[in-house]
Amino acid sequence: MEAGRSPNIEILTNATLHSVEGKPGAFNALVHQEPRYIDEDKCTACGMCKMYCPRPVADFYNESLAVIHAPRIDYPQAIPSAYYIDPKACLRVNYETCNLCAQTCTAGAIDFSQKPKDVELNVGAVILAPGFGKIDNQVLSRFGYGRFPDVVTSYEIERLTCASGPSEGHVIRLSDGRAPKKIAFLQCVGSRDETCGNGYCSSVCCMYAFKEAAIIKEHEPEVDITFFFMDVRTQGKGFDEARKRAESKYSFRVVRARVPRVEQVDGKLGLVWVDEEGTSRNELFDMVVLSVGLEAPEDAHIISAAAGCELNHYEFAKTSVQNPLTTTRPGIFTAGAFQGPKDVPESVTQASGVAALASELLADARGTRTVTLTYPEEDRTLLEEEPRIGVFVCHCGVNIAGVVDVKAVRDYAATLPNVVLYDDVLYSCSQDALKGIAQKIKNNRLNRVVIAACSPRTHEPLFQDTLKSVGVNPALFEMANVRDQCAWVHAHEPEAATQKSKDLVRMAVAKARLLTPLESQTVGVNPRALVIGGGGAGMTAALSVAEQGYECLIVEKNDVLGGNLARLKWTADGQDAPRILKEMIDRVRKHPKIKVLLGAKLESVSGYVGNFVSTVKVKEKVQTIEHGVILVATGAKEYRPKSYLYGENDRVMTQLELEERLAKGKTSLKNISNVVMIQCVGSRGDDMQHCSRLCCTQAVRNALKVKELKPDANVFVLYRDMRTYGFHEDLYSAARRKGINFIRYDLENRPEVLKNKASGLTVRFFDKLLGDTLDLDADLAVLSVGVEPTDNTGLSKLLKAPLTQDGFFLEAHAKLRPVEVAVDGIYLCGLAHGPKSLDETVAQAKAAAAKAVIPLAKGRVSVTPLVSHVDQGVCIGCGLCESLCPYKAIELVKVDKRKKAQTITASCKGCGICASHCPTLAISMGGFTDEAIFAQIHAFAQQEQEVR
Amino acid sequence: MSQTNEMSNDIKGFDPKILGFFCHWCCYAAADSAGVARYQYPPNIRTIRVMCTGRLDFRFVLEAFRCGVDGVFTGG
Amino acid sequence: MADKSGSVLILGGGIAGIQSAMDLAELGYYVYLVEKKASIGGVMAKLDKTFPTNDCAI
Repeated sequence: MEAGRSPNIEILTNATLHSVEGKPGAFNALVHQEPRYIDEDKCTACGMCKMYCPRPVADFYNESLAVIHAPRIDYPQAIPSAYYIDPKACLRVNYETCNLCAQTCTAGAIDFSQKPKDVELNVGAVILAPGFGKIDNQVLSRFGYGRFPDVVTSYEIERLTCASGPSEGHVIRLSDGRAPKKIAFLQCVGSRDETCGNGYCSSVCCMYAFKEAAIIKEHEPEVDITFFFMDVRTQGKGFDEARKRAESKYSFRVVRARVPRVEQVDGKLGLVWVDEEGTSRNELFDMVVLSVGLEAPEDAHIISAAAGCELNHYEFAKTSVQNPLTTTRPGIFTAGAFQGPKDVPESVTQASGVAALASELLADARGTRTVTLTYPEEDRTLLEEEPRIGVFVCHCGVNIAGVVDVKAVRDYAATLPNVVLYDDVLYSCSQDALKGIAQKIKNNRLNRVVIAACSPRTHEPLFQDTLKSVGVNPALFEMANVRDQCAWVHAHEPEAATQKSKDLVRMAVAKARLLTPLESQTVGVNPRALVIGGGGAGMTAALSVAEQGYECLIVEKNDVLGGNLARLKWTADGQDAPRILKEMIDRVRKHPKIKVLLGAKLESVSGYVGNFVSTVKVKEKVQTIEHGVILVATGAKEYRPKSYLYGENDRVMTQLELEERLAKGKTSLKNISNVVMIQCVGSRGDDMQHCSRLCCTQAVRNALKVKELKPDANVFVLYRDMRTYGFHEDLYSAARRKGINFIRYDLENRPEVLKNKASGLTVRFFDKLLGDTLDLDADLAVLSVGVEPTDNTGLSKLLKAPLTQDGFFLEAHAKLRPVEVAVDGIYLCGLAHGPKSLDETVAQAKAAAAKAVIPLAKGRVSVTPLVSHVDQGVCIGCGLCESLCPYKAIELVKVDKRKKAQTITASCKGCGICASHCPTLAISMGGFTDEAIFAQIHAFAQQEQEVR
Repeated sequence: MSQTNEMSNDIKGFDPKILGFFCHWCCYAAADSAGVARYQYPPNIRTIRVMCTGRLDFRFVLEAFRCGVDGVFTGG
Repeated sequence: MADKSGSVLILGGGIAGIQSAMDLAELGYYVYLVEKKASIGGVMAKLDKTFPTNDCAI
């Protein structure tokens, strides 16, 4: 949540978009803003106002499961970190009475004179990311929600399982406050349900249901949990494995049925369903959780009218497979759940992708509106003196001072060596206090500062900025966390908390005495990108990088561009795939900033972000290339089955082969009347463990194509779970309407493909409904063979980019950094990352391009000074550090014919594994030197002596 | 094992001094979250923040024990 | 071409809006992040943990 700190992000809260006039690159947007009644610059989030407010309000952040007051903050880590007043509840706003809060606010932040205002903004592009809406309560009421208190939504479960939530993490029945023993999760509430207008799949509920159930089991191991699924759709990367682990670890029961309604029976909840064998069953539960789907935002129409772009038939933003992030109005883009239901990694990917689109459009105007913060030159004479330490102890209103004796801690600090100034501050992070601290640093020529307050994780940058503003190196700063890790967690032991605060301050001062200034280094960036792979992902990424203004080199191992995209005939939304490919290749070929090497292989990579040197072999000739970033888009391949007579009988084919055949038109189905498709060939525990994600939609689309070309043909799809997530569900519904037969099989009871006498094929499978094995004559057996990773081990070693167990490249963080790899300067997109559809590939390629252009656009990469430093006089060149470094950030170089370790500061993350393992203690860590840590240990022990 | 018995005899009066090495990215963050959630725990631990527990040199642990610390906690 | 603006309006301060804002700021653009509610964070701030790693959502 760093968005609150960037000088180039202006947050307008309580604000809505009214209109967008103008053209791409030069829009005029009108934004309406309602007042907060609390000045966010003055508010210190102390919470005094809410304590005095007489008006109770239901807390919508906690799903109305808790009561709060009119002045409120949604959650403790909210940004802006400031309270606001709920105008609907406030007595002052509505009746001009009360005003209690304004009188109690010591910061003087409450301002009832604020009025609504309209703001006009000149912007080059508009991005719509309003998220999703909630399923109407009327839909939920069919399942007893609102009538039976023990029917709860998945949102309510999120808050009930949260330790800081209304029940402090205990799952309770809202009817009697007791812990439930049997819980049922009903899936697809408000999704895959045309009766409520939501024919699509919400794509996230299967995952969150498993997650919530697992958390419930962690809290209450005795509880029995049953899921009611139609299909289990955990198609995301690594999700199937996580689900299987959860199922066996917590012994979840999975029932494949849709429960039509919920009844209350003797204080319990009765469910009735029909199982797969066709038998009607019923059972009682203590609690029912509705896994509610995602809906278009309630204000989707208002947004679309204001932005002037169209919605699709479900009132989400209208986009296409080819341009998944572009609305119907040029210059207006969309990302996240408004583009279609999706999970966090997909949303984050699209968010970066849409940044690339805006950046392509506005490349000429880059940097024209940004603000750069400037600081005075550092005063180097300060360090010629002995340490002059200033200690500031923060009250944080009552947060610290309510438990810890702040003044006693302050006076204790005065007794510590080298402390020349000590003070206590009401709110050290408030603007006024920061100014005061800056002045004191200057007046007293402080050269070390210790602040005892909250967490350095959240506040260190703010205080370091204050040091910089008066010419003090930011590394000469240390915090003692006396709030989050002291006052808050020892609330009932004020004496012990005060003692702990003193100890933490003493340890901080001991470290501060040994702090040395650190230079924040920057290194230049070679403004070129290397793209490995010239398929759909690689070309999309290269075009985006080039449109954003930077040179790009595509290295393709084949003799043509196109990759797997060249084999597609239609997109999921029925567009002509070969045309899309041709346009893409033409654009790549004509772009002045893109060069392509065909039949080329990457031989070596050295260097680090900003300055890579690679060698590429093209037809026995080796070229050396210098570049700043690397995009990995090496794709994947179609799995080749060893079973089902594939390769032995030409009536057995893969979906892609069927697609090629169908592209020839009606004649391709001459003499064909029965087509049987088999899903999950190779995937999901067959030969490979992962779900290939795209084959269900591919099968349904091809099945529909068969029906279109030959309406009287019979099509059977043998599946395990139909995973036509998101809007692909429309195709699945259409297929069932067209009479395509879908029959589920289990992994233990796999279908067989056999030759029959009449030179045709027989597909044998177990029908659960009939409870019998059936033989089906098939003219064509079509295998949905899934996505197999190419052998990435060589490239993985070359790049030091790790692979998943399945053999795809591993992203740096599954949720928050989905297109980066752990090594800086290397980005990832397309099938090399995992199975995904074309629209997802395009979005991800754009996202990778956005991330890759960041260092190119900056021109320099700045390196945090918290890095390792090798004393080469002491280093014996053993290479242990090089082998241990997880970031490829330390290398061995020849110095006077001897091997010596050397840190590549641009890649170093400061983890210190090199320093702690160096046998000759030659490595020191910036900000965390051996001496400083020993000083902290000794300072800690000193208290031991005092006590004894 | 005999030591365990001795320890359990005066476990009631035992007020250990524990030194914690917390990884900035995970354990230190978790300790902050514990505060945000107002979890209560005994006030016996003092923390040294490191950027990663990879930084943990066994000499730090030995030195802590030499200085009379009763326990060392690492979280990363 | 000089008539293009170097700033971008993002409607929605959820995880997608915040990520876009941070990337665009890093790419050299000024961002107005327009949020309907009083704080940014969207739905993700309400989630206790995330699937499948159960990482904290905030």
